[in-house]
Amino acid sequence: MDRAYQRTRILTNHLIPNSPAQTVCLTSNECLSYSPPELSEKYAFDVGEMRRLMDGHDVEERDRLFGLIIQSKLFNPRVRGGKVFVSPDYNQSMEQQREMTWKRIEYLSERGVFRGWMTGKGEDVEMKRFACFEVLGLFDHSISIKLGVHFFLWGGAIQFFGTKHHHDKWLRDTENYLIKGCFAMTELGHGSNVRGIETVTTYDSNTGEFIINTPCESAQKYWIGGAAKHATHTIVFSQLNINGTNEGVHALIAQIRDADGNVCPNIRIADCGHKIGLNGVDNGRIWFDNVRVPRENLLNSVADVSPDGKYLSSIKDPDQRFAAFLSPLTAGRVNIAVNAVYQSKVGLAIAIRYALTRRAFSLKANEPEVLLLDYPSHQRRLLPLLAKIYAMSFAANYLKMLYVKRTPQSNKTIHVVSSSFKATITWSNMQILQECREACGGQGLKTENRVGHLKAEHDVQSTFEGDNNILMQQVSKALFAEYVAAQKRNKVFKGLGLEHMNKPCPVIPSQLTSTTLRCSQFQMDALCLRERELLNRFVADVSQCLARGESKEHSFNTNYQLAEDLGKAFSDQAIFQTFVEAEATLAAGSLKDVLGMVRSLYALTCLEDVTYLRYGYLSVDNAAAVRGEITKLCSELRPHALALVSSFGIPDAFLSPIAFNWVDANSWSSVQH
Amino acid sequence: MASSISSQHDQVLVEVKSFARILTLNRPKQLNALSLHMISRLLELFIAYEEDPNVKLVILKGKGRAFCTGGDVAAVVHDIRTGGWRAGANHFMKGYTLNYLMATYSKPQVSLLNGIVMGGGNGASMHGRFRVATENSLFAMPETAVGLFPDVGASFFLSRLPGFFGEYVGLTGARLDGAEMLACGLATHFVPSAKLPMLEAALCAVDSGDPEIISSIIGRYSEQPSLKEQSVYNRLDVIDRCFSQNTVEEILSALIRVGRFQGVGPCLVREYRMVCHVLRGEFSNDFLEGYRAILLDKDKNPKWEPSKLELVTDTKVDRYFSKVNNEDGEDLKLPVRSKFNLPPYVVAKL
Repeated sequence: MDRAYQRTRILTNHLIPNSPAQTVCLTSNECLSYSPPELSEKYAFDVGEMRRLMDGHDVEERDRLFGLIIQSKLFNPRVRGGKVFVSPDYNQSMEQQREMTWKRIEYLSERGVFRGWMTGKGEDVEMKRFACFEVLGLFDHSISIKLGVHFFLWGGAIQFFGTKHHHDKWLRDTENYLIKGCFAMTELGHGSNVRGIETVTTYDSNTGEFIINTPCESAQKYWIGGAAKHATHTIVFSQLNINGTNEGVHALIAQIRDADGNVCPNIRIADCGHKIGLNGVDNGRIWFDNVRVPRENLLNSVADVSPDGKYLSSIKDPDQRFAAFLSPLTAGRVNIAVNAVYQSKVGLAIAIRYALTRRAFSLKANEPEVLLLDYPSHQRRLLPLLAKIYAMSFAANYLKMLYVKRTPQSNKTIHVVSSSFKATITWSNMQILQECREACGGQGLKTENRVGHLKAEHDVQSTFEGDNNILMQQVSKALFAEYVAAQKRNKVFKGLGLEHMNKPCPVIPSQLTSTTLRCSQFQMDALCLRERELLNRFVADVSQCLARGESKEHSFNTNYQLAEDLGKAFSDQAIFQTFVEAEATLAAGSLKDVLGMVRSLYALTCLEDVTYLRYGYLSVDNAAAVRGEITKLCSELRPHALALVSSFGIPDAFLSPIAFNWVDANSWSSVQH
Repeated sequence: MASSISSQHDQVLVEVKSFARILTLNRPKQLNALSLHMISRLLELFIAYEEDPNVKLVILKGKGRAFCTGGDVAAVVHDIRTGGWRAGANHFMKGYTLNYLMATYSKPQVSLLNGIVMGGGNGASMHGRFRVATENSLFAMPETAVGLFPDVGASFFLSRLPGFFGEYVGLTGARLDGAEMLACGLATHFVPSAKLPMLEAALCAVDSGDPEIISSIIGRYSEQPSLKEQSVYNRLDVIDRCFSQNTVEEILSALIRVGRFQGVGPCLVREYRMVCHVLRGEFSNDFLEGYRAILLDKDKNPKWEPSKLELVTDTKVDRYFSKVNNEDGEDLKLPVRSKFNLPPYVVAKL
């Protein structure tokens, strides 16, 4: 009977739904959704003020150029996740990329962006030009290089190696892009050693012409930006043989294409071919087959040849003449150093914004997953790099000012500082971009997410405009020379930031408290101590070699490891100095407090360098204290991460989809549109 | 300006149609100019609808031949004269808050712009997800004519128009028809006015708040109007060439240029700072002079100060963008939006 009742009840329940359905269903976790960092992070300081401090100059001009780029279809605007991004289409062929680069240059030229770049004079013009390059570099490296070659290298050579008749003839046409210039210095067989180039120029006094010739295959000009497709004229660097004497390397102007784009007679041009990046630049190879150019085409600010064929120069010493010759090319080196800062900024802005919206693993069940930047390990990877780029940014501004305010007396300092900063900043750039790529995981591999692609595009920075290793050797050689000169001056150091050597040697306390570690005086002492000791050591070791009768070159080569360490010590100290000076311009307040933490993080990261333990400037205990303080600083700076990258002033359109709503950017509906 | 309580209530009509709410701006004699009461009422309604699961869609339209000609300038001037600059600023504070809410709304808003839509009327429609123009639409941001500047979030939506069209529209107060509005993106759709009743009915019948579905419904009634031959939009290359120059040293072009790089919240905060400076008459009396010349005495001959573009210096621009220097001076405080599930097109605006 019970069984029948049971069966009836069951059947009744099937036929008459009575009780409300008990929703015992398996609920998965709520779908991952994107929340912009702006909603959860707070700005503790005025981001606009920090931007003005970091950009340093020409903020409105930058914004105008940003606007010109964003609002034009030529710069490949695309919508992802509801936002517009601009970035070249790197999937295009090499030919298409070169064409697009040229079209963009034409557009900017028509909009008057280059007005005054060659014909204008004064610090303001030069600073504005730097600002424009910094903006263009954020869009694409190729357009930056093409313009750099035309204005800084070709145009700069006319300005600094040429004299009045060159200026009158060429500068206006350069500014208006009626001619397209390039710069033929490097050869297949000679890059760093410019004095060893093999192109030869002789003089025909009957016709008043120079004859430029490529005598062998290793003498072909190589990597000449603009030469493969577009350039009409070039600066040619060549040995100058006058009356049987080789007077050394000189520069002349030669036309390589006519106005219709046909290669001129006696000139052969080939393409350097596809590169790992920078395919928007048409690099070419040039052979000169006894090309005749008028005598006036010799750029004669330092030396000249008379109509009847006599060599004339006011500088008798060929070494000095060569140095005077090359010093104006510093502008290009400054430009590269300062640009590299901004590319790192793009990488960091993307990686940090991504880390503020990407989650992985929960600490406890049923809790939301943790944001990447909330992990101490992720903070340790990215925040010291952020501090480094703040430091490099101030260093770059200092370098620009040093350059535009140049005098003949400051030339040597500019050469040393620009060499040091260019090497340090571009090496840093590669390190930062690599870390940023890794911090973005798989998304870092997509070209449109920019951060990974930037690495290949900018890899060339470490070897062009001076190989970084060679540049750093120049730094150590200059410091050696300064030391020797100071000895002659009764040990008073003046210049190259060595004044600290006149004071007593700083002492590092055996116990390093948090307060001490964050004190800028301690940080400065530690950096100066290393530079001082390494310089003393380097001079001592080189002097020993010299005393044994070895040549100067050989002595330097033998001590290359100390030279490298010394170069790094000089750079870190010089860069830190610029940070301290920038910080000092601020009034007390939250901006200054946060910047102070950033400065400490930068300084302590320098103190983690292996040289401190290698030479015993810090004890093992000291080093542990430094390490611990860095971790503390990272967690204290974590809440300011968004504000610190927003202060870069880079418009959203110049970042990439993973810095914003990367879920919507990848949605199915965006595939369909 | 006194109006009875009952007529105030009628200024915004509300119809409930299933999951849709149809709001009608109802001051046809004043071409639906937005009074403070209407702004407050709209704010109330929008806030309520966001929390109400029975509301999926909001439709906004205007009674008579206008959608809305803008803010009630005469009322603002009256309030300044009787209650000081803060009383006038209150209109803008509420208005910009409404604009922000509409810009970041988690549900779709469809505005039927069947007539004049100017000034504050754009603030009430351009920030919504869907803007439907008709052959009767007439758009303008004419604030410069009365000594003000294109506000109500125009630094956000004008700066995102193609090329430098936004600078042109904001600086000149140029008028655009429905076809031009569609071409430049101010309107999302163009529907002939005869089909509007059918469109309304279809939207109410569908019971959905999914923007894709709503878009396809409006699409069914939409047309592709062609631009008139002499349309200014056919001369975009000339406009771009002229309005991209940095010789137009005005506060206005700076306003749009800076707005291009910011989210809708920061744009409205900056505009509020500027409007406070204007109402306080700190740098000039242009606003009151504009009201007098265009709306009161109607002599159309305002005496601006400074009288020439060249006399406007850069420092003046910075001062307009800065916070009011006064115990009364506070920045616009916008509502927190993080608790709502904001759709992607809203997140992109932040």
